[in-house]
Amino acid sequence: MNEQLQSPEHKLSSKSVKVWLLREAIENLIGFIVFIVLFIFDYKFTWVDWVGWVLIGLAVLGILGAIWGFIRPYFLYKHWRYDISEEFLQLKHGALKEEHQLVPMTKIQSVSTKQGPLLRKYDLYSLSVQTMGSSHTIPALDQEVATKLRNTIAQYAKVEEMGE
Amino acid sequence: MSKMKRHHPFQILYDLWELIKNAFFFIFLLFVLQAGSESWWVKYGRIAFLVVFTISMIYIVLKWLTLQYRLTDTAFELTEGVFNKKKQTVPFSKIQHVKRENKLIHRILGVTSITFETTSQGDNSSVKFEVITHKEAERLQKEVFQLKNKEANEEANIKLEEEEFQPNSVEPERTIHFNPTKKEVLKASFTSLSFLAVIPIGASLLSKLEDSFPFEQQADGVISFLLGAWWMIAIAVLSLALLVIGAGILWTYLRYGKYEIASDEGKIYITKGVLEETAFSITKKNVQAIQVNQSLMKRILGLAEVKLVCAGGKEGDQSDVNNLYPFLPIDRAYQLIAELLPTYEISNTMYRLPRKVFWLRILTPSWVWIIATIGLYFWKPDIFGLSEYWWVLSILLLVLITASRILNYTQTRFTINNQYLQFKSGGFSTSMFISKRSKFIEVAASRNIVQQKLGLATLDTVNRANPVLHTSIDDVPIDWANKFFTWYKGRQQDMKTHG
Repeated sequence: MNEQLQSPEHKLSSKSVKVWLLREAIENLIGFIVFIVLFIFDYKFTWVDWVGWVLIGLAVLGILGAIWGFIRPYFLYKHWRYDISEEFLQLKHGALKEEHQLVPMTKIQSVSTKQGPLLRKYDLYSLSVQTMGSSHTIPALDQEVATKLRNTIAQYAKVEEMGE
Repeated sequence: MSKMKRHHPFQILYDLWELIKNAFFFIFLLFVLQAGSESWWVKYGRIAFLVVFTISMIYIVLKWLTLQYRLTDTAFELTEGVFNKKKQTVPFSKIQHVKRENKLIHRILGVTSITFETTSQGDNSSVKFEVITHKEAERLQKEVFQLKNKEANEEANIKLEEEEFQPNSVEPERTIHFNPTKKEVLKASFTSLSFLAVIPIGASLLSKLEDSFPFEQQADGVISFLLGAWWMIAIAVLSLALLVIGAGILWTYLRYGKYEIASDEGKIYITKGVLEETAFSITKKNVQAIQVNQSLMKRILGLAEVKLVCAGGKEGDQSDVNNLYPFLPIDRAYQLIAELLPTYEISNTMYRLPRKVFWLRILTPSWVWIIATIGLYFWKPDIFGLSEYWWVLSILLLVLITASRILNYTQTRFTINNQYLQFKSGGFSTSMFISKRSKFIEVAASRNIVQQKLGLATLDTVNRANPVLHTSIDDVPIDWANKFFTWYKGRQQDMKTHG
């Protein structure tokens, strides 16, 4: 059976995979350096026996995590979808656990775009939306798309709801 | 526009009473327990205590002198502060609930207290009159709600988006819906007897103690201990049980003995408490959802608890404001909902989960059971001296978990009925949830990998409350999930057709 839930259509920026891969690489590099330093210390100062074993265990987990970390961006990109209409913001993401969210525009309290150093390198923005009870983030959008989306959401969200 | 007013002078007495209550421990310690003591900490402790106590008393008087209020046509104006002056305006339109509380001290002094709770959160979320005459309390409540009703009526004339809001100029009539009978209170007290379960646990602890202090060589388990002086134990257990039952009945009676649920056009009024009377009202419009909960004990006795989920109010007070009456006979519960909130339609025909979910529920590994079994294997608890039968406990737990899951499968129901959504779920205890499309601030669906393969989904809804209320239902068929999303997307219709 492969029935689907109604899905939104828009994808993230195609550059997003690159950003995530880069981020993963940097994080792993830092992790790697920390491990090397710890192993050297362990060797030099002859720490208690079990520390070495714990370090090896952590290193194995770290390597497995890194492998998953380099595969994950492709899945993430493939499964991320969003859509807006005058009334709703719809989000869908996740491969292993697929999640759908449907947020009425009238319940959106604030919308913002953000850019960290990595996103800036590729001229991307993340867009986040706050509602009364939660916040949702679209992780990577091209600059024009993000700005336009932010302005559109802000405009739609301003419409006052009578249902309160 | 009226003049600025001070609170009732008995406020000073009330604060003094509270101060003495809070200081009771210190008074007891310093002046009773250590009455003849000459040690340095008692001496300095007494001095420090007297200083603090005196300052507190002066502060109480100053506080009363500076705390003032006034009603304008549309708002409360409050000033307070001994050292830092503070002025605050609370518009009536922001007020959600009114709560009146008659503590013992209020009764003695012949006064009452009233609290107006607003939608905002934090320190200034309520306007509180700790001591006030009954007359003044009535007046305030009337002023506040006259204006609120007027506003609401004007609003309703423009956009009649809530059916329950018909414009009315007549003073609304209150109808009393529920008063518990003696029999019902007695029945209710049985649900709080579950702590009788302490007895077997206590017995097992006792047998443990015997094992660890081997002064009684021949003691092997509770059984021989019981047989040793069975009549003594019997009397002790019996009197303890009677004491516990008596205390349970008294406790239930004091809390739920005097209870009244009434309503008029726009509001629901609840008055409760035998010694300390509390009264509060809920604006019907603010009801975001209804929950009907039944614990296992309540199911056996045919009772249910009805909760109204409301927006606003203080976090700590939520359970208080929400609960209609925790021990309603089940039929009466639904009848009461129909009487109090006539716009809520409860549908009797609901969908069941598809057959494949039965197998999913049974075959899903239970983490609780796995961890518990591993724990039991290593720890081998010594209950009644039967440590080698640890696997019996493991099997028992598995049976319980499976039974709960099967019950959950057979009991889960869901339906969409016009603008209402209805969920029922739960294993040994059940919970029914009803809310309106326009009251959901967000909905979500998720599908893990198994659900994706089987064409199922978990739905999650969010209601305004403090904090927001998430309600979810597992493993509904994907078609229905789609129907649910489409239904939710049509929520704008509700606003328009009624507007």
